[in-house]
Amino acid sequence: MARTPATSRRALLFGTAAVSAGALLTACTSNETKDQEPAADNAPVADDKPGKQVTIGFAGPQADHGWLNAINDNAKSRAKKYSDVTLEITEGSNDTAQQIGQIETLINKKVDVLVILPADGKALTQVGLKAMRAGIPVINLDRIFNSPQAYRCWIGGDNYGMGLNAGHYIGEQLKGKKNAKVVELAGLDNLELTQQRTKGFDDALKNYPNIKKVARQAADFTVESGQAKMAQLLQAQSNFDALWNHDDDQGVGALRAIDQAGRDDFLMVGGAGAKSAMDAIKAGNSVLKATVLYPPTMAASAIDLARALGQSKGVSGLAEFEIPSSLTLYSAVVTKDNVDQYLPTGFI
Amino acid sequence: MAPQPPLLTMSGITKSFPGVRALDGVDLEVEAGEVHCLLGQNGAGKSTLIKVLAGAHQPDDGEITWRGEPVTLGSPIAAMRLGIATIYQELDLIEGLSVAENVFLGHEPTSAGFVVRGAAARTATAQLLERLGHSEIEPARLVGELSAAQQQIVSMARALSHEVRLIVMDEPSAALDPEEVDNLFRIVADLTAEGVAVIYISHRLEEIRRIGDRVTVLKEGRSVAGGLPAESTPTREVVALMTGRNVEYVFPERPTARFAAEREPVLKVEGLTRRGEFAPVDLELRPGEIVGLAGLVGSGRSEILETVYGARKPDAGRVLVDGSPLRPGSVRAAVRAGIGLAPEERKAQALLMLESVSSNVSVSTLSRFARAGWIDRRGERAATHQAVRELSLRPDNPDTAIRTLSGGNQQKAVLARWLLRGCKVLLLDEPTRGVDIGARAELYAVIRRLADEGLAVLLVSSEVPEVLGLADRVLVLREGSVVRTADARELDEHRVLDLVMEGSPTS
Amino acid sequence: MTQPATAAPKDAPTSAAESAEEKGSSRLTALRWDVRTLSLLGVLAVLVAVGGITAPDEFLATSNLQLVLTQASVIGVVTVGMTFVITSGGIDLSVGAMVALASVWATTVATQDFGFAGILFTAVIVGVGCGLVNGLLIAYGRMVPFIATLAMLASARGLALQITDGSTQVVTVQSVLDLGGRDSYVLGIPPLVLIFAAVTVIGWLLLNRTTFGRRTVAVGGNAEAARLAGIDVRRQRLYLYLLSGLCCGIAAFMLIVLAGSGQNTNGNLYELDAIAAAIIGGTLLSGGRGTIVGSVLGVLIFTTITNIFALNNLETAVQQIAKGAIIVAAVLVQRRSPHGDA
Repeated sequence: MARTPATSRRALLFGTAAVSAGALLTACTSNETKDQEPAADNAPVADDKPGKQVTIGFAGPQADHGWLNAINDNAKSRAKKYSDVTLEITEGSNDTAQQIGQIETLINKKVDVLVILPADGKALTQVGLKAMRAGIPVINLDRIFNSPQAYRCWIGGDNYGMGLNAGHYIGEQLKGKKNAKVVELAGLDNLELTQQRTKGFDDALKNYPNIKKVARQAADFTVESGQAKMAQLLQAQSNFDALWNHDDDQGVGALRAIDQAGRDDFLMVGGAGAKSAMDAIKAGNSVLKATVLYPPTMAASAIDLARALGQSKGVSGLAEFEIPSSLTLYSAVVTKDNVDQYLPTGFI
Repeated sequence: MAPQPPLLTMSGITKSFPGVRALDGVDLEVEAGEVHCLLGQNGAGKSTLIKVLAGAHQPDDGEITWRGEPVTLGSPIAAMRLGIATIYQELDLIEGLSVAENVFLGHEPTSAGFVVRGAAARTATAQLLERLGHSEIEPARLVGELSAAQQQIVSMARALSHEVRLIVMDEPSAALDPEEVDNLFRIVADLTAEGVAVIYISHRLEEIRRIGDRVTVLKEGRSVAGGLPAESTPTREVVALMTGRNVEYVFPERPTARFAAEREPVLKVEGLTRRGEFAPVDLELRPGEIVGLAGLVGSGRSEILETVYGARKPDAGRVLVDGSPLRPGSVRAAVRAGIGLAPEERKAQALLMLESVSSNVSVSTLSRFARAGWIDRRGERAATHQAVRELSLRPDNPDTAIRTLSGGNQQKAVLARWLLRGCKVLLLDEPTRGVDIGARAELYAVIRRLADEGLAVLLVSSEVPEVLGLADRVLVLREGSVVRTADARELDEHRVLDLVMEGSPTS
Repeated sequence: MTQPATAAPKDAPTSAAESAEEKGSSRLTALRWDVRTLSLLGVLAVLVAVGGITAPDEFLATSNLQLVLTQASVIGVVTVGMTFVITSGGIDLSVGAMVALASVWATTVATQDFGFAGILFTAVIVGVGCGLVNGLLIAYGRMVPFIATLAMLASARGLALQITDGSTQVVTVQSVLDLGGRDSYVLGIPPLVLIFAAVTVIGWLLLNRTTFGRRTVAVGGNAEAARLAGIDVRRQRLYLYLLSGLCCGIAAFMLIVLAGSGQNTNGNLYELDAIAAAIIGGTLLSGGRGTIVGSVLGVLIFTTITNIFALNNLETAVQQIAKGAIIVAAVLVQRRSPHGDA
């Protein structure tokens, strides 16, 4: 049973964010970034005018769920936008050996820049190094390589930030409420990103002494587990004020359990940004009031970065000549107020 | 016999299992260098006794001394260290390992304490096999590829691979041909000449006469006689001790009126052939008739039976029941046409050991007790109860677990299965294997009675007296071919043995 | 009729002594079986006590009983099918994958157009179809069950992924969604629990009161003896895997009702849960003995543990450790049953 490990799964089904690439670039420029203000949604890319021809090689895992599908779509449509970009996209694979082979082929073809979303970051570090040594700059997408020498620039989501922003949102909503109780429905517990999301959430809650996290159960990113674990949580906690659910996909199951239990006495915050979640937020008739993004638009941004690298340009909006070596994306909170802006990119 | 104490004495051994006392005061004394025969019916306690001796069971009471010293046989390893080796009837070899690996399993010759020296093991094994007169068995071969007789030799080699002073052999001749039995006896003689003692368990009294020195008889968990001279004690006395009565190979009378010949044959076999197993065989079987197939292991007798039954597919020829040919190679076709088989390996091929007598009896007749798949359990129980009683199966409670029955009663359960089905032709493969002498007579009577009631019986047995005593007609087989067909009364044991062995490379 | 020398009974003491050598009598067997069931009930009782003490208000509520039974229903139905397969000496590793495939096939937009009946029918047919393939491969293709169902596991999961493209298929048919809601409870019993109960009762009757069940036990206990007794062993095997597939189809429908959606990740590791429940229930992994009651108790024990841990807000890791310990303990208890000693 081959199953995508790590990041892909949790990232899966995250709705897409329509945040423009430029905004992202200006917003987050380091791994430590936590609490930046969302960028103004102004100037998008470096320079829309055609420049030097650039061939970009793109290698990702098998698109076996929505989030990865969106990654591919974002990359392709972004590349199509530029007349000076040729995209060499491989057939996705979850098999490490196969993906290494595909990337080596791209190296042999002497593409100008490589964008790699590895099936397994650690396992593909070597081939990243090989590309860099061959003089091909590598944009490492989301699942990070073991060594910074294996990429020129890393761009990816911020799991800690997801938890943090979810915590802050809930904190603000429950401001002034005494002895407020919060419940957490986490994702697959043996994944580091789940731990990061929980840590961010807990750190945010420390700012709100009136709120206490009374229960946490881990589901496994599936609808079925979301339903089962949520049903148990609802039974265990006869009243609480807010729920932070790590993943909109298991959230489908969680909402089902909430509906079956006939409960509506709390507010729920999801994670990812699935279209179904955004629809529910917009409709406003369920407990789901917000969702925190993990945007697949990072693939579009990666194409922008690759093009800039290939043309030896910087990124507009930054003073530096060179593009940054690391970009952590901001996990925006989608609420009824701003859902219309994000909705078009929410996907199934 | 000798000035020094006996090699082994066991006195007052008792052993109880929940509900039953298996050993109730057994005394046994074995001298070095003798063949000591242990006799007793199934259930007399022989198996329990040798398991105590092998360290597999702990006795509740009693004393064991070994060369004059009291000992406790706390585990199989403890027994092995003293030099007691046991060759069980159901061989305990591992088929996926080679001969040498089996022989030295658990005490492999090693370097540095853990690296197995395979070559050394193979050399030593080859020596042991040569000593046993079977140098043709290659130490590197897989045990699963060997014949039953060869496996027996490997078991013996394993016993001898230890420093052994006493070997216990549980029915070692059961799976062997006469020729192989001769070889076995030669090995036993060699061993005793070296001073090794042998405890020999067998149902065959004539074997005991040939090689035994002394006999101990067990009955119902007690030793009823110890140290009888094997050669001179009259058979009747031994049988009387075992059973409490005088019975030996008693066969029911054949019906006086030979009506069978006038009837139409119910089973016809025409030119049935399986290459490499048996040449074209023709035979006819009439209602009320018992036909015996006599031959050695490998003469094709069981193969013929199983091919008639459809369990093996013939290369040529056909089987007809009441004139209509059966689909070849289909057990279901045979069963539907009214053929039943009591196979040689009862436990492996016939019985559902976890189930009750009733389930075992009704398994071929289930649909009769079912309406739309629903089993009428009361009807089933009543019918099986009646079938079981007709065959005097004891206990006659159909809810009894089949595995608690003796061999003879298990065989009756298999017969009851076909009786209940109302089959016309019954194929019996070694029907008295593992059945003790007293119970045999009963089985013979049951088989004859079934024939008298109109059943046609095809009987295979490796015991010539059994075939001659029970069958009306006999087909003698040698190497897959019928060499003689005759009325059973025209043959005697010597004549049959001559026919069976004629031309074979035996002495 | 009978001839002279046959002589009178004398076998009775013999068989008594023999039973001592081989151990156990029929009455003891029956008793032991009861002991096994009772010990499972005992474990369940202990769990209930633990739940009642650690979370008195939540655990003992009616709503919690409804919850536990509902959570047990889906895997319970799968386990009933699995019990038959294991009793026959086989194994079905593909149950989770079949549930996944049936659940996504039954929730595609095209299927949902046919409403309630379309979803139910599709789920059941897909399950039966997969079971048919398993059965044909094993019975007539002479493949080892482990391999054949492993292949089905891989391909059914793959097909499920292909159908969904990885996305969750939300159910929009209101009547299906309503079935999972509180308003559909019959006398306080959720409909899914009623389905589970029905499958259990039918399964018990099938195993213990019909020729089908008897043949299943015979095939598992001694396939060679069953064949020589005239049972069509191959056809029986085919039916058994078909039955397992049918149970998976029903379970898939129940899961659709429960989760309101179909997803290719559904039924994750159901094969292990079902096997574990059947084994701790007392079904022999080597075949020849099966107990539906035991299997259902096994499922309930696992579900209750999960429930107690969730109510006490304990971590997943601890739950998994407890589950492993229970399996080991149950198998150790079984060791003390009729065989295993020689």
